[in-house]
Order: sequence, then C-alpha cells, then structure tokens
Amino acid sequence: MVNLTIDDKQVTAPKSATIYEAAKINGIKIPILCHDKKLKPFGACRMCLVEVEQMKGRQIPACTTPVTDGMIIRTSTPDIIKARKMVLELLLLNHPIDCPVCDKGGDCDLQNLTYEYQVNANRFSDEKFHHEIDYSNPLIERDMNRCVLCGKCARICDEIVSFGALTFISRGIETKIGCEFEGSLNCEFCGSCVSVCPVGSLLARPFKFKARFWALTNQKSVCSYCGTGCNLTLGVKDNKVLTTVYDENQGFHNGQLCCRGRFGYQFINSDKRLTTPLVRKGGALMEASWDEALELVATRLRGAGASAAALATPRLTNEELLLFKKLMEAAGSANYDHSAGYAHAALTKGFARSFGATASPSTILDIQKSDLLLVIKTDSYETHPVIGFEINMAVKNKGAKLNILSDKRGKLSKLPDAKTFVHTPGSEIAVINSLAKAILDEKLAAGSAVSIPGYADLEKALAGFTPDAVAVQSGLSAAAIKQLASDYAKAEKALIIFPVGNAYPGHNADMASAVANLALLTGKLGTEGSGVLCMAEKNNSQGAVDMGFYATSGLQAGQIMDGCASGAIKTLFLAGENPVVSYPNRAVVTTALDKVEFLVVSDLFMTETAAMADVVLPACSFAEKEGTFTSVDRRVQHIKPAIRKVGQSRTDFEIFSTLIAKLGGQAPAAPAAVFGEIAASAPGYAGMSYAALGETGAFAPVDITPAFVVPKTVAVEPAAGKLALVIGSVLYHNGTLSQFGEGPMYVCPEGYVELSRGDAAKLNVAENDLLNVTSAAGSTKLKARISSRMPEGVLFSPYHFGAAEINRVWSGAPVTWVTVTK
Amino acid sequence: MNPITPIINGLKITLSHLFKKPVTLQYPTERPKVAQRFRGLHALNVSHNKAKCVACYLCPTVCPAKCITVEAGEDANHDKYAARYEIDMLRCIFCGYCVEACPVDAIRMTGEFELANYRRQDFVYSKERLLEKK
Ligand code: SF4
Ligand code: SF4
Ligand code: SF4
Ligand code: SF4
Ligand code: SF4
Ligand code: FES
Repeated sequence: MVNLTIDDKQVTAPKSATIYEAAKINGIKIPILCHDKKLKPFGACRMCLVEVEQMKGRQIPACTTPVTDGMIIRTSTPDIIKARKMVLELLLLNHPIDCPVCDKGGDCDLQNLTYEYQVNANRFSDEKFHHEIDYSNPLIERDMNRCVLCGKCARICDEIVSFGALTFISRGIETKIGCEFEGSLNCEFCGSCVSVCPVGSLLARPFKFKARFWALTNQKSVCSYCGTGCNLTLGVKDNKVLTTVYDENQGFHNGQLCCRGRFGYQFINSDKRLTTPLVRKGGALMEASWDEALELVATRLRGAGASAAALATPRLTNEELLLFKKLMEAAGSANYDHSAGYAHAALTKGFARSFGATASPSTILDIQKSDLLLVIKTDSYETHPVIGFEINMAVKNKGAKLNILSDKRGKLSKLPDAKTFVHTPGSEIAVINSLAKAILDEKLAAGSAVSIPGYADLEKALAGFTPDAVAVQSGLSAAAIKQLASDYAKAEKALIIFPVGNAYPGHNADMASAVANLALLTGKLGTEGSGVLCMAEKNNSQGAVDMGFYATSGLQAGQIMDGCASGAIKTLFLAGENPVVSYPNRAVVTTALDKVEFLVVSDLFMTETAAMADVVLPACSFAEKEGTFTSVDRRVQHIKPAIRKVGQSRTDFEIFSTLIAKLGGQAPAAPAAVFGEIAASAPGYAGMSYAALGETGAFAPVDITPAFVVPKTVAVEPAAGKLALVIGSVLYHNGTLSQFGEGPMYVCPEGYVELSRGDAAKLNVAENDLLNVTSAAGSTKLKARISSRMPEGVLFSPYHFGAAEINRVWSGAPVTWVTVTK
Repeated sequence: MNPITPIINGLKITLSHLFKKPVTLQYPTERPKVAQRFRGLHALNVSHNKAKCVACYLCPTVCPAKCITVEAGEDANHDKYAARYEIDMLRCIFCGYCVEACPVDAIRMTGEFELANYRRQDFVYSKERLLEKK
C-alpha cells in the first residue's frame, strides 16, 4: 500500500494501482473515455488528466500513471477543467451531433461528458467526417463518423476475444477504426466491441432504434445457453426483452458474453412461441384448455409405473428438475434422464467412480491461476466461448502454457505458443492412457499416487499403452506423446479442460476416468490452478446431475428410446428436449416416438419433436421464471422473472406441480421451498439458502475420494476409402434452442460439413457445394465448407440444425465413417 | 366600515355591466380567436414531404401524463423515422412539454380545441391524424 494525497484527502492505494484506480477506490471520480478496467492501460483520450505536484504540476493521464508514495494529486483544478473542455471541443469538432437519432443517446460517455463540462459552443470549426457506414452485417453497425478513437473495440477484440477483427487504420486526421483491407466486419460477433464502445460508433443492430436506454428496465439473469453460467442483464420494455445490457461488474467474466448470450435472446419474445396447450384430436393438434390437457396427461401417468418415462432438457431449473423427478416417482416410474445416457456419462459415471463425486473438482477461476492448460478438443472454445476468453487471458496475460489434444484445430490453436496435438478421431482415450503410461515410465508420477486405490491395476492395464504403440493408431508421434506427458507432469499447476455434450460420443465416462487418472497420478488435484474441469453442455447440465435427474435404477435416455420402440414404454414425457434433432440416429428416434402410445412435450416452440406429440404444453423461457441454475463449476445462481409469461404459457414448475397434485401428491408451492429441499439433500448444496444466493451465487463444494479406474478403449478401425465424421458444437449455437435466437441464426443459419483443403481437392469439392454424406445409418445433403483447420480424412458437422438432419448419418458411435459424393 | 358600503360597491359593478357589450360568444355560430400560444391539439410538422419527427423518444420521456407512444423504424436509407406516433388525448394535460423537448421542431400545438367525441378510441391521435393538421 502507498500513501498519497488526492484532492487534499489523505488516501491509500495498492502499489500496483494507477492514479485513476487509486482515486476510484477512494470514491473520487476522474472522467475517462478510453480506459476500461478489463483492458490494459492505453492513454489515448486525455480525458483523465490530473495534476501531480511532484511532476511540477504538469498534467498527466491518470489512467496510465502508477501511483507512488507521497504523490500529491489534484483532479479538478480550473486548468484541468479547461484542458478537459478542450479535449471535448476537439472531439466534437468532427463528431456529428446526431444524438436524437443515435442509439447511444442517453448512454453515451461523450454526451454525458459534454453535458457535465458544459461544452455548449466550440471555438474551433472543421468539416464533419464522411466515412461510409457499415450496414453489411445484421448484428453490428459501424458508423466511424462518431468514433472517438479510444481503441477499446480493437483492444477488447484482441486482448480478450483474441479475434483481432478491428484495428486502427490510416494516420493522423485520417485515422479510423477498420477491418482488414477496410472491408466489412466478418468476425465471431460476440459483441464485446459494441459493449465497450463509449459512443454510438458500434451499435447492436437487433436493438437498433428499439428504445432509449433510460426506458429499459434491467433485470439481472443468467444466460440460458451453455454451462459457463455467464451473468447477463436483460433490457426489458413493454414486457419484451429488447436487448442484453452490458454490465462490466457482472460475474467472474466482468460482463463478457459470447454471440449467443449477447445476440441470442430473441427466442424469448419470438412470435413462434407456443401460447396455448394443444391436444391431438383426429390426427391434428388442436387448441385446448390447460385443464383438459393436464387432465389427459395425469390420466396417462396415474399408476403408469415403469411404462412411463421422462426426458428433460438440462435447461430447466434445479427446482423444476427435482419436481419432475417427484412427478415420475408419483407415477411410479424410475425412468428419467436428461440425456445423460448420451452426453453426461463423463460426470455421472466417470467422475463418480474416479472422484467419488459427480462434479468437476476445479472451477473456471482456476484457469487464470494455472501454469499449464491441457485442453482436450479445441471445441472447448466453441462450446463455452467465455471460458475460451479466460483461456486466452491466462495464456496472454499470465503466461500459462497451452497444450491442446484434439481431432481438429480450432481457435485456441492460434493462441501464442499453443501446441496442438491432432490425433485421429476416436483415439483420444488411448492417447490419454499413453500419457499416463509415459508419466509412469518417466517416473514423473507423484509419490502419493501409489496409495490411491486401483494403482496396481492401472499400472498393469496401461502396459499396452506405450507411446510407441499408441502413436501408430493415434497419428501422433511417440515423441509428441512423451512431450505432452512431461509438459503436463512437470508443470507446477496444471489444469485439464474438456467439454462434454450430446454430440461428443467419445467424451464419455471412460474419457473422464482416463483424464482423472492423469491428475491423480501427478497429484495435480485439489490445489488452486490444478485439477480437472469437465464442461457439460447446457446451462444447467451440472444441476441436472446434482439433482439426480439421470438413470440410477431406471432406464437411460437411449434405453428409453428403445423401450418406446419395443412398446415397453407407453407414455413418454419430454420437457424441453428435442431428441429428433439432437439425439443420434434420427431414424431410430422418430420410429420410437411414432411407436410410443402417448407423447407429451412441454416446450417453448413447435419443435420437430413437439410436432409428433399427443399433448403439447406451452412452457416458459428462463426470462419468465425463477429458480436456480448450476454452472459447469458448480456455481449455483439465481434467476428471476424479467417479463410476464407469454400467452397462456406456464413454467415447467407449475406444470409439474399441477400434475403432482392431480396424481394425489403434494408439491411444494414455490421454487424457494424446493430449494430448501435441495439444500437439505443434494451433495454440496448443504447450507445454501435461496435468499443468500444473491447476485453472485454460491459455489457448491466438491469432496473427492480418489480411485484409479481402468478406462475402456474402443479400437476405431479406419474404414478404407471412407472419411471420419465427427459431430460437435459450433461457436454460435448451443443445443437446438439457439435456432430460435435470430442473432446466432444470422451468423450461422444452417448445417454444413467442414472438410480439409486436401480432401476438398481430392473430391473436387468447392465451397458451398452440396454434398451427399452417407454412412451405414443413412444419408443427408449438406453444404461444404472448406477450412484449413481440419486434418485430412476428417469431416466435421454441427448437430444443432433440424433441417440439416446430420443425425440421419451420425449414429452415436465415437466415429462415424462416411462417404461423400457431390 | 359601514355595513352598507360593500353591498353598494357590488351593485355598482353589476350596474356598470348592464351597459357593457356582453362577453358571451354565441358558440358555435360565433367562434373565439385563440391566442398564438394557446395549447390545443398537437400537430406533427412536415418537411420534405414527411414528418420531421426523428423518433428520438424525448417527448414520450418528458411527457408527465405518459400519453405519447413513439416507435421508431428504420427506412430504406437506414435512417430513423417514427413508424408509430400516437397521443392519447384523454390523458394529455396540454402542458406542451413535448413541444419544448423536441430537438428537431417536429411537434407543435395548434389552436384546435374542439376535441369532443363519442368513442374513447377517437381520442387516440395516430401519426396520420396528427399530420393532417395544418
Ligand atoms: S455518439 Fe453520443 S454524442 Fe455522438 S451522436 Fe451519439 S449520442 Fe450523441
Ligand atoms: S464482435 Fe467480437 S469478434 Fe467481432 S469485432 Fe467485436 S469484439 Fe471482435
Ligand atoms: S468504434 Fe467505439 S470503441 Fe472503437 S475506437 Fe471508436 S469510439 Fe472507441
Ligand atoms: S452461451 Fe455460454 S459462454 Fe456464451 S454468454 Fe451464454 S453462458 Fe456465456
Ligand atoms: S421529441 Fe420530437 S423528434 Fe423526438 S420523438 Fe418527439 S416529436 Fe419526434
Ligand atoms: S482515460 Fe486516460 S487517457 Fe483516456
């Protein structure tokens, strides 16, 4: 701490603080334009000038000058005010005074400062700018005439997002912010630049002209796409969510969001939302009353026993999931799952046997504290983009080493000094095993490892996984494997990050155990910056696991589908799931849903699955209900309604409560009461209180009882003349919900198949050619996308799109072998 | 004071009025001339054949009766215009704040005061109706 005097006040500040920060901590406001707390100091605008006595009273920028002991600072002498006024006059010289039509009006730093400093006239005169305005993309409008050249947009895109789409171009009076070759913006559309622009240069087009900032009611909430659990603020007017509002003080991510969080909110107020219950009569879905619809469902569930089954989307709140479970228990059935059978076995089975807990022992906050990040699948950036930002910052700001093990390259591979090890699809578990083997062989294992149960078995089982043996099947060199192993083992703090999801069939319980073995062998667990972070796909996947909403004594998701097809399951209740699109093997799923006697779907939209139902119940979005979500690292966070319910829709909480009552049970009246039950029963939630969660939420602790488990590997035999198809997430989408968010759909509107340049040349395929992709399961037509990140012989396709029908081809096997023809 | 004096004073005033021209207007055959600054029904000003309003949302913001509804639209040139502009005259208190707030002189108040009507919805003045006014 240093002592200094600001405006005649004796204050203290941390040694590392700048004058601006020191003033801020002590409640003294210094105006800024180009400074942002998330970005490195820049010092371009000179708005923050202050006088420092030790510097002979010269005016220096507060945002870039570090404090020193005994500094005497004045922040608002008449000279300083004069200087700031001149800065504003000069800025306003070329700036169009567009405030009435400028969307930033009312929330503009330049406008506010002009008002505050009473710059009513300008001593100078010059021409206004005449830059062409970029309207070329539907998400971000760029009007460089209003730009004050603070550089925040270019800096955030580079320092945090690591895309680098924007930069200063030209010099002197001609300087402006532009894209490469002065073209139009074509980036990942995370909107970070829009959020930090202090003026109306960068605007969110979906919100364009919709309302003034002051007319919005802000409601804090939690993003309902992926499991990162980003906090967001919904801007509401007239019962509509019009935008997401940037709040730099929100969450661990300081208000950073990805494209889906920032621009994917439109589904909440979509005209396509279901508004009344529908009941199938004479073959068609007809509008019905809630009473009629629910009575019908209750009649089917009453005493149904094991002939009833339920699948829920892990987007429901914890409270809803618990009620859903109670409903199934009231019906006498233990057949419920949240697609864990497909997707989250890594957590429910893998971690359960290796760690004795069904959650990741590490948190997102560990990323920045680690020395080495081992990321399995570069998709971790695409599945959980804001975690990608954290990885980027750890690498760039904290010097963390980044090693990537994946079946293709991705954005993370482009980070400075990132080492990417591209293996053949399906060999990931073998490679991880060989890392463990190399660690044992090189005597890099921690001394404590021997005492963990299962050590001897593991040692024996790994004998066949020597780097040399695995090198052959994985396409990596033995040296690379050894290098990866020693990098990991020798790092003081190392964190393994891997995503799991519906479309990651290889990322199963065995992979989780293989990864756990690595951490246990090297003792990299239980300390800050070390450990394993398994990132489940949806916003409440971890919550669904914690609530026990997966098959323990009943059938798993896949078995439920089989049960429907065989007639064993007569009534199937799907809450928000859309298996027709998201589960592997579409033909099997549709046959099962066709066969099942009675299908109930509660959803926001008439999805491909809802269209097959006998009863469709209109459910509410996250913006209309209250409850809790649990993020991938077990942060339990509270959401509150931002708008009234759309149409006659009801929350799943209400739907399940009514049904439980109809079945003669008694459901708790409100989510708060259910949370009380959760706090009493769910492991790690003990002691939590609904009221105390507040805005920051609470971490559910993870207790670990480690054990070595021998992971099973499946040998993936390459099929001659065929290509390996891997399925996964793309950056802009999450599950099938984002298809109803207009923002993501502008950027990434349809499914495609991505192939390497080499394969494209061999097959004589050009970008956007329509390709027939055929596997043993079926075939579909997809547009080609050619990229340099794919290794030869490997294809990638996102699974989110109903129309793309990739799950006709993808059967759920770790690798689907396909042929491609034009 | 003499108790009769106030009565006489009053009678004097009455008497003087007997010889003055009556102020009553024979409405509707006779019509008042309203003052320039009278605050009657609103009108939207026109320039270049369209409403001057740029939909800045300042008048609905300043309106104490919250009777103005503006919805902005984006035209073919990406410019902002008032896709919807509506005043609910049943709520309006004719304070004239909207006129004062407007940065582009798009709204004014006319001398029109005959606003009686039969149905509530007839008091909702849409953009089209406000533009008709001279
Ligand atoms: S950027 Fe700010 S000052 Fe400039 S026109 Fe927009 S609101 Fe006005
Ligand atoms: S939207 Fe994101 S990626 Fe695109 S320019 Fe802005 S900060 Fe960069
Ligand atoms: S566009 Fe906005 S954020 Fe970027 S330099 Fe200009 S004013 Fe700053
Ligand atoms: S989708 Fe995930 S990363 Fe993106 S804003 Fe939402 S929670 Fe954050
Ligand atoms: S203040 Fe003027 S320009 Fe703004 S909305 Fe009202 S009438 Fe239109
Ligand atoms: S805020 Fe310090 S120079 Fe811009």
